[in-house]
Amino acid sequence: MPISAATKAATDAHALHRAPASVSPQEVHKWMQSFNWEFSKNKTKYPTKYHMANDTKEQFKLIAKEYARMESAKDERQFGTLLDGMTRLGAGNRMHPKWGETMKVASNFLEVGEYNAIAASAMLWDSATAAEQKNGYLAQVMDEIRHTNQCAFVNHYYSKHYHDPAGHNDARRTRAIGPLWKGMKRVFADGFISGDAVECSINLQLVGEACFTNPLIVAITEWASANGDEITPTVFLSIETDELRHMANGYQTVVSIANDPAAQKYLNTDLNNAFWTQQKYFTPVLGMLFEYGSKFKVEPWVKTWNRWVYEDWGGIWIGRLGKYGVQSPPSLRDAKQDAYWAHHDLALIAYALWPTGFFRLALPDQEEMQWFEANYPGWYDHYGKIYEEWKALGCEDPKSGFIPFQWLLKNGHEVYVDRVSQVPFCPSLSKSAGSLRIHEYNGRKYSFSDDWGERMWLTEPERYECQSIFEQYDGRELSEIIAEGHGLRSDGKTLIGQPHVRGTDLWTLEDVRRAGVVCSDPLKRH
Amino acid sequence: MSASVEKPHGLTDPERAAKILAAIPDHDLDTQRKMNYFLKPRGKRLSEYEILTVYSQPTPDWIAGGLDWGDWTQKFHGGRPSWGNELTELKSSDWHHHRDPGRRWHGPYVKDKSEDWRYTTRLLESFSADGGIRTLDPTWRDEILDKYYGALLYNEYALFNAHSSVLRDCLSDTIRLTAGFAALDKVDNAQMIQLQRSFIAKLVPGLDDSTHAPKQTWLTDPVYNGARTLVQEAWQGIQDFSEILWAVHNVYDPLFGVFARREFFQRIAPHFGDSLTPFFTAQAQTYFQVTRTAISDLFFESLANDHQFGDFNRTYLRAWTGKWLDGTIAALKDFVGLYAKIPPIAGVTDKEAVTEAVSRVISDWVADYADKIDYKVNQQNLVAAVISGLK
Ligand SMILES: [Fe+2]
Ligand SMILES: [Fe+2]
Repeated sequence: MPISAATKAATDAHALHRAPASVSPQEVHKWMQSFNWEFSKNKTKYPTKYHMANDTKEQFKLIAKEYARMESAKDERQFGTLLDGMTRLGAGNRMHPKWGETMKVASNFLEVGEYNAIAASAMLWDSATAAEQKNGYLAQVMDEIRHTNQCAFVNHYYSKHYHDPAGHNDARRTRAIGPLWKGMKRVFADGFISGDAVECSINLQLVGEACFTNPLIVAITEWASANGDEITPTVFLSIETDELRHMANGYQTVVSIANDPAAQKYLNTDLNNAFWTQQKYFTPVLGMLFEYGSKFKVEPWVKTWNRWVYEDWGGIWIGRLGKYGVQSPPSLRDAKQDAYWAHHDLALIAYALWPTGFFRLALPDQEEMQWFEANYPGWYDHYGKIYEEWKALGCEDPKSGFIPFQWLLKNGHEVYVDRVSQVPFCPSLSKSAGSLRIHEYNGRKYSFSDDWGERMWLTEPERYECQSIFEQYDGRELSEIIAEGHGLRSDGKTLIGQPHVRGTDLWTLEDVRRAGVVCSDPLKRH
Repeated sequence: MSASVEKPHGLTDPERAAKILAAIPDHDLDTQRKMNYFLKPRGKRLSEYEILTVYSQPTPDWIAGGLDWGDWTQKFHGGRPSWGNELTELKSSDWHHHRDPGRRWHGPYVKDKSEDWRYTTRLLESFSADGGIRTLDPTWRDEILDKYYGALLYNEYALFNAHSSVLRDCLSDTIRLTAGFAALDKVDNAQMIQLQRSFIAKLVPGLDDSTHAPKQTWLTDPVYNGARTLVQEAWQGIQDFSEILWAVHNVYDPLFGVFARREFFQRIAPHFGDSLTPFFTAQAQTYFQVTRTAISDLFFESLANDHQFGDFNRTYLRAWTGKWLDGTIAALKDFVGLYAKIPPIAGVTDKEAVTEAVSRVISDWVADYADKIDYKVNQQNLVAAVISGLK
């Protein structure tokens, strides 16, 4: 149409139709795919052995401003509830102390996962070629920034209102001392950002988000509520509303590589490794945080695990990807065995090393011991008796000079760290599936606790060079390590970690020094 | 999936709540109620932004400023670390030093943008009801706006994508947030350009909002030759995250971006009865200025003035400026060829007026960027180089 005619048409159209008009996000998004163009250097900085298709679509069709509107509306509800309703109820200090301590770990560790997911989705944004797919990953980058800030907000809120702010207020500095931190970095940090971009996507989206987000973010809210914590559900359920898009991103990643011959060759191996990597840490740690870090139990962890990991994810979610050649990972069967006992094994070690924590840990009380035995028959004879013995030896009492880690060493129960997952384990006390293996490489010894990790290391030892805490602390006395890692309260002498959740009988650095625990690398004795 | 039976809540179930209250000590176990209390605040006291953001990255202490220790637990194939000092040529005595003076974390950032969205929609509605489209000069609308303003979306889109590796690689949390918000603003600009095109196409029967014409302009028209060459290089040609941020936000966008948005489209549009484009260019300039505040803190306050490595960093920043300035001037030189495609407007499009416009942008840039790292430049030569592109 000639230009002048077009203007006349606009004028005529306006004469007939004077209603206000605007443009919807979808009307803009439908052109996004054409925002890309080809040029010689247009290839990713993060190589992947897979090829991601150029025409991959993205189903949420968000544009930047609409994204901001949606998230801002959610924020208003969430922060409104927290800052107004919850604060008026005094809800920041009405959770059971055992749970209030658990949230020191849970919220801060999740924050690390969220933070690294920013970098991980940015890497995928770089490696995707389709503009829609890039846009989908971008929305995830922004979401993960949101979640990082939200997790921080939980610790921030607790710092202000909970009766024991220590640990909530400095988790980012003190978390590195204890035995749970490095394993967390493997699953929540490096596993998401260091490797083949698609392998990282499988770790983050296909396993981390599609599989462990449910237990991590949703189940935790049930445990929180049961124990009087309504802060965590308010924030975490708001986080969860974004996660659907991330799982869809993971799904699209698989769709985008489905027609690539490399997918037939590598995808199932990468998935199997990613699943094992994630489950090796989350299965024991989540089970431990829920069951040992609460007073009121929701359901046995093994049940939650079976429902969400085994059936929902291993069955339904992976089933949906079957048409792209994705198979249920073989390591799922071994993981199922771990889901029963692994968290009990880890809890024992975590308690034995309680002074290195940035949270207080408590022994299970009589009622809880009965619950453990009822749900995990055989629990009492194996674990319950040890806890009773520790208690009798005065493990809670600062005057006793007894720290359970000494008992382990004295009784020949060496604690090793699995090189690949960085999860500690005690072969002589372990009821879960793993077993000790030791390899020598370049004149050094390395310990492992399962086939899958051992295999990953044998293939690529250069990816797992990180020292374990026992190698790092070898020869050093425990109170020294704690002081150096800032594991002290604001009075400069009382420990942040404690072996109980009472308000009295708090251990000081001096009490730990008196116990005289010296760390050593068990591999030196082989 | 959620549990089917309602379970007792510890906060509201009276029996349970009583047990919980009994377990809570009757006194506080610590007096320090400020999260991140060990962090030195930039202002008088710790801001919510500093509390929620700083040290969320688990940086080991061998990257300056980190609180963590030891190695990464999984590395890239071949053993390259997750994050390492080799990811940038610049050095810092504390990578966690940078602060966005706007104190933006995710919450305030999306709140601002969501207000922009609401206001944008309201403006479009009033513009259409008002019949503002009737005064839009058809040649300006179909030849310049549709093709050349439309093509600018590719410029913004490339600059957006230049941030992907920055968000993967940069060495701290506050840098990552600053880069993330700058990136979203860039793709937002690109989308707003397309949104404006779709809007006009709605109001003018027979027009179509396909990206075909602007994309062809971007890919083949000499006006965008230099711009295209430069943004492709910024997008995928380099990986040093500092260099990318420097090239995009401290050299190219303050010169080319500001000139195109402010001096060309925003200044000229009203002469063609166009009150719509200035709204969008002003919005993009707002994002530019907000980003500038944050990025300036990173490069000037934190890196160029680092007490230990300031001189070292300035040397690099000057070298990078030289490297990217040539391409930027070439991009501007090509771009001013666009003046020949519009009917002359006295005092706006003649050589003298364009020279003034170019001088404005260059002298702004010298004051806001070059001077701060002692980068010596002959402004007149730069202006002349750009003006030589006038047709
Ligand atoms: Fe997230
Ligand atoms: Fe996510």
